[in-house]
Amino acid sequence: MLTHTILRFGPGLAAAALLAMACQDSTPSTSVARKPNFWAGPPPQCPAGKWTGGGRIDPPGNYDAVDEPSGGMPPRYSDGLPPMNGKVTFGFNVFLAADQNTGQCFVQKGEIQVNHHPARVAWHVSIHNGVDDFDNATVFAAVFPDNSGRGFCVVVGLPETFMTARVNANRGFEKVQFEACDNDRGQRQNSRTDAMRWRASGSASGDGGDTGLTYLTGGNIVEHGRP
Amino acid sequence: MNGKSMHWVSRLAFLGVAVGLTAGFAVAGAAQSVSGKAYSTYVNTPLGSSGYSPLAVLPPVSGTDGAEADAAGSALNVAGALSSDFLNSITSGELGTTESGAQSTASAASVNILNGLITADEVVANVMSSVIQDGAFSNADGSTFTNLAIAGVGSITGDSPVAPNTNISLPGVGYVVLNEQIPSGDGVTSSGLTVNMIHVYLQSLTGGTCVLGICTPGTLTNTGEIIVGSASSGATR
Repeated sequence: MLTHTILRFGPGLAAAALLAMACQDSTPSTSVARKPNFWAGPPPQCPAGKWTGGGRIDPPGNYDAVDEPSGGMPPRYSDGLPPMNGKVTFGFNVFLAADQNTGQCFVQKGEIQVNHHPARVAWHVSIHNGVDDFDNATVFAAVFPDNSGRGFCVVVGLPETFMTARVNANRGFEKVQFEACDNDRGQRQNSRTDAMRWRASGSASGDGGDTGLTYLTGGNIVEHGRP
Repeated sequence: MNGKSMHWVSRLAFLGVAVGLTAGFAVAGAAQSVSGKAYSTYVNTPLGSSGYSPLAVLPPVSGTDGAEADAAGSALNVAGALSSDFLNSITSGELGTTESGAQSTASAASVNILNGLITADEVVANVMSSVIQDGAFSNADGSTFTNLAIAGVGSITGDSPVAPNTNISLPGVGYVVLNEQIPSGDGVTSSGLTVNMIHVYLQSLTGGTCVLGICTPGTLTNTGEIIVGSASSGATR
């Protein structure tokens, strides 16, 4: 199952990759990344969904402890990442697709902008034609139901490769991971049910950390276009 | 303005048309639309001017697609009128079969308006609009001021919201509206909201005289405006 597989492979790989990237040069790689083999069993289903949203979180307040471990995601502040607290604003749009051979989910195209206001750091991820603009690597993703049973979550930038973000306009590049949960699908939007999580290595920003899965202070997250 | 950038994605038009014609056209009909806009600052005063900056506008969205646009600036200074830094604007929107909407965020840090008349460590405007089967609605949750101070009026400490459309007189200058909210739509099939966190209206008094104890009032004339933190969103089905 998708959730079990991520649980088995996610945390360790996250630690290795994020910590490794923290020690590397921030210049983006131009090589094509190999496709990781996350899946020990049959490949998981990949709903060809589209996700869009934006708003604000204020960690550590409004912590979504129930949903955070959904899909095998590691608990906050694990993998050697410190808390990333305070005002965070964001906007994103990702279109998912499935690898025809493995069934593995990847991002066909997308944009993700995240601003951590106390540190005055802005990250931007841009994905076109199935690869990250800043390192030419495939950005893998996963969609799974959350533990609360209220909806679904998407994780963009699975462990081993994560994804590469540009830091501010010219401060280099670093590995990041994004998660968003749509917990009021088709219902009246409630900021306190949708949630977002951001993890950054800090190799270029000096602002590495983990927000933990956090209910939105304002804004909305919508999974749309799912068959 | 430094470090300005903008990005957007939208699905190929033919895919949107195909989806609309086959599966979801009854819900995601031709009238369905979303809109979004965000900017950190706007200055139009006798002291100087600066357009919407940095400006993020949601590109057209069709079918069951979504899009995101963002823009950033490291600093802005219109001498005597406004200085600010860490300027960020984001907007995104989506059309879906069960829900469509848009959400926008604009922020500005180290805000100094009219040589210290109004200051804030940071201002965040945050709005969302959504339309579902049961209706359409918008809100400005997450819109706050951090350590806002208005000379001669008062201050608020920490990160706090302010009641919508709080109007404060600025003697000799004009007035300011904090958390100015401008709704639109019918709440059934459409909803929209614009929030301007700080909107200074500059005014001058012309005319008005007193002769032999008989006074005639002058006329207040708008001479400019300054906006910090503006976010708009809208959704229609």
